[in-house]
Amino acid sequence: MEKQVIAAKNIEKKYKNFTLSVPEMNIPSGFATALIGENGAGKTTLLNILTGIRNDYKGSIQYFGQYSEKEMEKTAEVRERIGYTGTDNYYLPNWTVGQVCSLSKLLFEHFHEDRFKKYCDDLAIFGGNAYDGRKKVSALSDGTKTKLMLAGVLARDTDLLVLDEPASPLDPLMRDKLCELIRDYLNSGEGKSVFFSTHNISDMEGVTDYAIILEQGKIVEQGFVEDLKEKYILVKGEKADIEAAKKILYTITTSNYGFEGICLAEDLDKLAGMDVVTETPNLFKISVAVMKRNSLIK
Amino acid sequence: MKISQSSGVPIYKQIADAFRTDILAGKYSQGEYLPSIRELAKDLRISVITTMKAYEQLELEGLVTASQGKGFYVNAQDSEMLKEQHLRKVEDSLLAAIDAAEIAGMSGGELIETLKTLIEMRDQ
Repeated sequence: MEKQVIAAKNIEKKYKNFTLSVPEMNIPSGFATALIGENGAGKTTLLNILTGIRNDYKGSIQYFGQYSEKEMEKTAEVRERIGYTGTDNYYLPNWTVGQVCSLSKLLFEHFHEDRFKKYCDDLAIFGGNAYDGRKKVSALSDGTKTKLMLAGVLARDTDLLVLDEPASPLDPLMRDKLCELIRDYLNSGEGKSVFFSTHNISDMEGVTDYAIILEQGKIVEQGFVEDLKEKYILVKGEKADIEAAKKILYTITTSNYGFEGICLAEDLDKLAGMDVVTETPNLFKISVAVMKRNSLIK
Repeated sequence: MKISQSSGVPIYKQIADAFRTDILAGKYSQGEYLPSIRELAKDLRISVITTMKAYEQLELEGLVTASQGKGFYVNAQDSEMLKEQHLRKVEDSLLAAIDAAEIAGMSGGELIETLKTLIEMRDQ
């Protein structure tokens, strides 16, 4: 359980008005990890650094407990074990699906054409019609391009999937399917791991084991979801206690009828004497609370 | 197994409760393995960490033992402990009934009479 699929140390990337600075980040092996954060928090930059798409940064990264970032860059064997999908379509628009398939076979040693075709079929990439290798990538909708990229990585033998905002272009049914694909992947062998960024916390909650929350280029919270659910408590209370609660709660929203907020478990006994009900928050509520505390949004 | 996302009871507790009931009812034999955590997560459509926490809860209660790399197997059930567990369940249910009776304005005598009637009805 202590093993990490990616362990990053002292990662720093400076832009003109923005700095990504991650002293330490560990992605547990054998689990699905979500990277959560506002627009512009640095999620894609971080993912690009971890997948080797960017290498103009400071810091060190260890993959699968044994390879350095330099080794990952030079060794095809390490890259073979990682599957990546991005927010931009990385297949050229004038390629056909058939070309995507043959190029993937050339690029990766462990790309299974039969599996690719099966996923194309399962994900209804051709709208319920038979596999058509002549179909152009440019003729596919955004959501379908994402499905095609997923089919492309799932057709390979990998140990880690890194997915940048996979849920965003997908419809609700397909998001549900995405969760199923991730669970199947985690169940397909020892130590299989998934790391994805998302804004759609509620849709992805049922598959998220570990969460990393990034704000203004810094990790402001990370942990196993079940542990976070014990660290943060959802509290609802009466109007009379609003002022007192404001001093104790981590975040608070008030209305004419009372308040609702997130309280750190360690502060819970300070609420003694107030008429409150407590609940276990979901990941969405926890994420919003943590983001709110660290956001520039007023 | 039925899992409710909105019952207010944490999902890991619902899973642990369901397995506890089955284990105490003898549906698992001694040494039998529970489904793997990833398999269970897949089937229940929940995250792996939640099923893991449910199993850890059962381990804490002494119902199952973790075996490195192989999963969780069911322990021999001590008959004294079994009895104790069942007794606790009865007490909990009765306490809930007492609370409900109080809200309904029933006296202790009326509650006992109701219980007697219900037992008779069930025996028939």
